[in-house]
Amino acid sequence: MGDALLIVLLGLPMTLLVTVLSFTIGVIGGIPLMLGLRSRTRWVRLTCRFAVDLIRGVPPIVWLFLLYFGVSFGAIRLDSLNAAVWGLGIISSAYLAEIYRGAFATLPSGQAEASAALGLGGTVTLTRILAPQALRTALPSIATYLLSLLKDSSIASTIGVADMVFNATMFARQNPATAGIVPFFIAAAVYLVISIPVAVTARRLDTRLRRTA
Amino acid sequence: MNVPLITEATELAIAGVQISNLSKRFGDHLVLDDISMNVKPGSVTALIGPSGSGKSTLLRCVNLLETPDGGSITVGSQTIRAGDRVKDRELLTLRRQVGMVFQSFNLFPHFTVLRNVAFPQEKILGRSREEAEARARVLLERVGLADKADQHPGKCSGGQQQRIAIVRALALNPRVMLFDEPTSALDPEVGVEVLTVMRELADAGMTMIVVTHEMQFARDVSDHLVVMADGHIIEEGDPAEIMADPREERTRRFLNAVLER
Ligand SMILES: Nc1ncnc2c1ncn2[C@@H]1O[C@H](COP(=O)(O)OP(=O)(O)OP(=O)(O)O)[C@@H](O)[C@H]1O
Ligand SMILES: [Mg+2]
Repeated sequence: MGDALLIVLLGLPMTLLVTVLSFTIGVIGGIPLMLGLRSRTRWVRLTCRFAVDLIRGVPPIVWLFLLYFGVSFGAIRLDSLNAAVWGLGIISSAYLAEIYRGAFATLPSGQAEASAALGLGGTVTLTRILAPQALRTALPSIATYLLSLLKDSSIASTIGVADMVFNATMFARQNPATAGIVPFFIAAAVYLVISIPVAVTARRLDTRLRRTA
Repeated sequence: MNVPLITEATELAIAGVQISNLSKRFGDHLVLDDISMNVKPGSVTALIGPSGSGKSTLLRCVNLLETPDGGSITVGSQTIRAGDRVKDRELLTLRRQVGMVFQSFNLFPHFTVLRNVAFPQEKILGRSREEAEARARVLLERVGLADKADQHPGKCSGGQQQRIAIVRALALNPRVMLFDEPTSALDPEVGVEVLTVMRELADAGMTMIVVTHEMQFARDVSDHLVVMADGHIIEEGDPAEIMADPREERTRRFLNAVLER
């Protein structure tokens, strides 16, 4: 039991690393994709819509396999960590772009109109008037997405990233007689211990932002 | 609220508005059909007519929130012709001359009242934050809302929000003000506060185009009344004369309907 706990916890930094890096890629990468989804130019809009639907339409595990086993730059193949981070990062970009777009769509059209009527330019209107309001609306969905990404990061174990689930699997295989499913219970507990504070913080933040809105 | 809204006479460089043969369609629907209208510098024009007659669309064409399909619009010395490519610079120049107040206020909810009034000044007139906020406080004071400066607009009543919206536009020294049913979302008692501010603005010599159902305001404050129906101007002239004795049957019916409410 003690050994199992230790081994699973040794995978925690990797779980967090994969989650944080791919979330960061998603938060940033979602912005140009969202702008593309809102573009006034038809082909840009359609291309981005196609990309977002394509990315979201294929299971994450399949994307990781494709990136890990299928992509090579000359002689160089993506290592498992890179494949996992970029794979989950690109998937996150697509989901977050859709979350951002939805948040912009809920803003009353009067906001953009009032800004335009004052003579504020498109960039100022987007960054100073619309985006802060959209971000508030989107925050709960973004937090929910982060939690699901934390759990999905375990998919990285299937291509050999030594995260918590990877270590739990290893331990169970190496101690078939004694370990049973204990390592997985431990992993489950650790996921919960991280998730719950994130969920609580997000809810607090949400109510606070709602009050100042 | 006895202090005139605009005392700095130099800031009020008034402009007129000429609308010539303006047309606008949404798909197959011709919403404005060959509209021509002349608004003299410093005058107040009231625009009335049944729902769907094109009043808002006409107003929104003046600052190019809608793109006209035909005709031209002149504000001060700047003329925009339908069909010409409007450069971003020209568009912003036009909008900076023209202030607009909407039925739904459209204040920015994530800013305080003070920031709502100061932020556009900083971006558009290049004022420093201190300068813009000082000016904002003076204007808020004049409409009796100095104590609301540090609140968010969501905490203000509708009448207060609309006065803030007017002040936000005025802070940019517009040469023309457009009002699209500024009191329609308000209870009559509250609407009066807003109408008082508009009346002061008119007295100070601002060029105004006001879409309204407030017949008393139209009669007492406006210099010119324009009646629209189905995308046409069906009648225009002296407000008191038209209200007392409309030439058009449709005007008569519309006035009766409004006055019965
Ligand atoms: N963006 C739009 N797309 C399509 N049709 C529109 C659009 N905006 C307005 N219309 C139509 O144009 C016509 C005129 O609308 P407009 O809003 O200018 O009327 P209005 O006189 O302001 O009416 P109200 O008194 O109800 O505000 C209406 O038939 C309306 O349905
Ligand atoms: Mg209207």
